[in-house]
Amino acid sequence: MGKVKIKRKSTLIDMTAMSDVTVLLLTFFMLTSTFLQKEPVTVETPSSVQEQKVSTSNVVNVLVSPQGEVFLNVAGEVDPDASVAYAKEQNPDLTAAEARKEKGKWASDSVRREVIIQAISDYNGMHTSAPVQLTPDEVMQLAKLGTIGMPIADLKKFLALSQAEQDQVYTKFYKLSDEEKEQYNRQKDVIHVGIPIDLNHDKTNEFQLWMRAIKKVAQRSYPNLNDAMTKGEGIAVKSDRRTPFSKMHVVLDNLQTLKMTRFTLMTALKSQDQ
Amino acid sequence: MAQIEQSDKGKKKKGAQKKMPIHVDFTPMVDMNMLLITFFMLCTTMLKSQTLKIALPSNEKVQNEQQKSQAAESQAITLLLDTERDEKGQPKFDADGKMKNVIYYYEGAPKLDANGEPLKDQLQTEAFLGNENNVQRGIRKILSERNKTVIKKINELKEKWRNKGFDPNNEDENQRLYEEEAAKVRNDKELKAPIVMIKATDEASWESVIGALDEMSISEISVYQLENLNDLDRKMLGLPVETPAAAPAQ
Repeated sequence: MGKVKIKRKSTLIDMTAMSDVTVLLLTFFMLTSTFLQKEPVTVETPSSVQEQKVSTSNVVNVLVSPQGEVFLNVAGEVDPDASVAYAKEQNPDLTAAEARKEKGKWASDSVRREVIIQAISDYNGMHTSAPVQLTPDEVMQLAKLGTIGMPIADLKKFLALSQAEQDQVYTKFYKLSDEEKEQYNRQKDVIHVGIPIDLNHDKTNEFQLWMRAIKKVAQRSYPNLNDAMTKGEGIAVKSDRRTPFSKMHVVLDNLQTLKMTRFTLMTALKSQDQ
Repeated sequence: MAQIEQSDKGKKKKGAQKKMPIHVDFTPMVDMNMLLITFFMLCTTMLKSQTLKIALPSNEKVQNEQQKSQAAESQAITLLLDTERDEKGQPKFDADGKMKNVIYYYEGAPKLDANGEPLKDQLQTEAFLGNENNVQRGIRKILSERNKTVIKKINELKEKWRNKGFDPNNEDENQRLYEEEAAKVRNDKELKAPIVMIKATDEASWESVIGALDEMSISEISVYQLENLNDLDRKMLGLPVETPAAAPAQ
């Protein structure tokens, strides 16, 4: 009897096909993705059957935490050619070189920079005894951050921190219990969290000051943002589903006082059966 | 990484070129791609948020009473949004720490007893329930029942829109004409569509306010308002009547 020869088979698997698939998947994700916006507090929006998508360009995002702290974020035009097209429309004889200079003028960074400068000069007009002076570098740093969520008086102190420490301000705050949060914001020598807002109709609070500054800047040099704000798509209010109405009422009331009575509320999608 | 396999099967003629099949091991490549995919999957939002458009009245006090839009009593429905409360009147949370939204509603003007106090039993209780097998339930059933003539007409228009009845050749024009017609129906005063007042208590969740606004669009109600609670409403809900402390001194 002859011995049965056991053939040694190679265990190598051809990974080429697998690699093809993963590269395809990777391309898909890279092309379809928009990165998550860094927000100081994560909120779970309530759901509605509305199918209108929220715009990512030319929008003022008002984020309200479940405890009522308010954060603001302005986004400019995503498409850098929008301002070029507008300039050409205004002035048909524009040369190509001149038009190129307009490119990217409506980007988020430049909107925010102007808004910050405007808001701070408005603030200093009201608080002549303790003015806030930011260097151009600090203004740029703040504009790059995007979200603004503290009293103007604390901005300087906040910007002096390193980036990791800046993140810590929010994360530490949102680890506290509700009572501790109130206590924290009542302290004097800390960076307070949330833009000051109240129901006093006679005095301008800082939320109104920011919104007015945004509107002023938009009217001055960002027609698309101004348009969106007037129509209502340009102001998006976002909050957690558990936020009590008393907190939201403060924000809505302030918007009414500002005569920004048209705005959108951010929701998640649900079907009619839910 | 890359192996060059030499086949030693069979005898080759001398001088014939050896064929060398090249195998590249793609395993590390796949590993890296998988990592990248995971990264992108975790860092992205696939779904964009939806938005609900809202227009509030301006805050300037309407001095002239006549300017105030007086809702016809027969058409008015007032929704009072609240949460489930315990005996002490504090919001009740379930095991997951969630509040349960409750809607109270009454029709027309609040009924008063001889002393001018509102009658408590005129409040009816409902909840946000949504549809089940295409049948409306909860508050949606009540609202759609009240607005059925409008809903019927809108559904007819929708059917026509689906069949491209407005403009068979132009998609956009079809959409535009449909929306125009639908808006006309929604605002038709002849149809006696309900006028809804939405009032939320301080403790009511944002979810219930969005839910109520959403119900308006589901039930095709075009006239609605987000208002503040007044003393009568507070009494009906059994809440302490408070004179707003923040009222500016005149």
